[in-house]
Amino acid sequence: MQTEILRTILLIEDESADAALMLRGFEKARVMNPLVHLTNGDEALAYLAGVREYADRRKHPLPALILLDLKLPGMTGIQLLQWMRVQGEIRRIPVVVLTSDDNPDTIDAAYDLGANSYLVKPGNSAEIVRMVEAIQRYWVKLNELPQLVMRATQK
Amino acid sequence: MTPVLLVEDDPTDFRLIQRSFNKLSDAFQMFRLTNGDEVIDYLSGEGPYENRGAYPMPAMVLLDLKLPRRSGFEVLQWLRRQASGLNRLPVIILTSSRHSADINRAYDLGANSYLVKPDTGAQLDELAAQFQTYWFRLNEFPSLRPELAR
Repeated sequence: MQTEILRTILLIEDESADAALMLRGFEKARVMNPLVHLTNGDEALAYLAGVREYADRRKHPLPALILLDLKLPGMTGIQLLQWMRVQGEIRRIPVVVLTSDDNPDTIDAAYDLGANSYLVKPGNSAEIVRMVEAIQRYWVKLNELPQLVMRATQK
Repeated sequence: MTPVLLVEDDPTDFRLIQRSFNKLSDAFQMFRLTNGDEVIDYLSGEGPYENRGAYPMPAMVLLDLKLPRRSGFEVLQWLRRQASGLNRLPVIILTSSRHSADINRAYDLGANSYLVKPDTGAQLDELAAQFQTYWFRLNEFPSLRPELAR
């Protein structure tokens, strides 16, 4: 569709078994985009804010798509979403919630805070891999992702 | 049948989009609106749209950007400021614009996703199929509680 600049996908997922399945799904779907995997909310915040070890945006570019688990050590997914949506350009990064929580109140809260889509993790591993393939087909291939300015961050 | 609002002022584009979606199954009931003011009337239940039997609350809005009267951007901005759950209504932009300024602005204003109208009928069929699979087989929708949105 567009000239292929391979934009970074950020996966925020603390359960290593789930993360491994998702990474396998990305491999199967032949996702060529750089994939960054972080395992806790505070680290994801530091990455997005471009602070500490993530200050160099050339090495740690802003993602064009975020897959976000809600139950995380440190800052929760909901808190991270809340923080994101009051930032400058970080606000425009599409966030697909990917969680085991199917409580309607949580779903509503995520949309209220600007989640772009909400997916419930399937129970078995083959289905998780298939879901990731579907995410790749829809969000990376079909959907147009936003442009993010690569910005030098202060300190 | 899931009600979906298709906001498209170009009659040819509307026919093509509707045809591709209708090929899938009878899963969608498309309601066509042609300008931004109509969308706001529809969602607020004003005038003829008060009759929710005939004009049900949609599960999703497919929104063109260039529209007479209020533009797609203005509709989106209005929608995200509503209370009582209407603010959560998923909006997918479906437009011919590929400009990054439009894409960025749509996300900044809270669009859920941004799709570009393809050039051929076959590509449009493919888009409709993927759209249906992703949003209606995988995605979980919010509750809108439209009865409170009056």
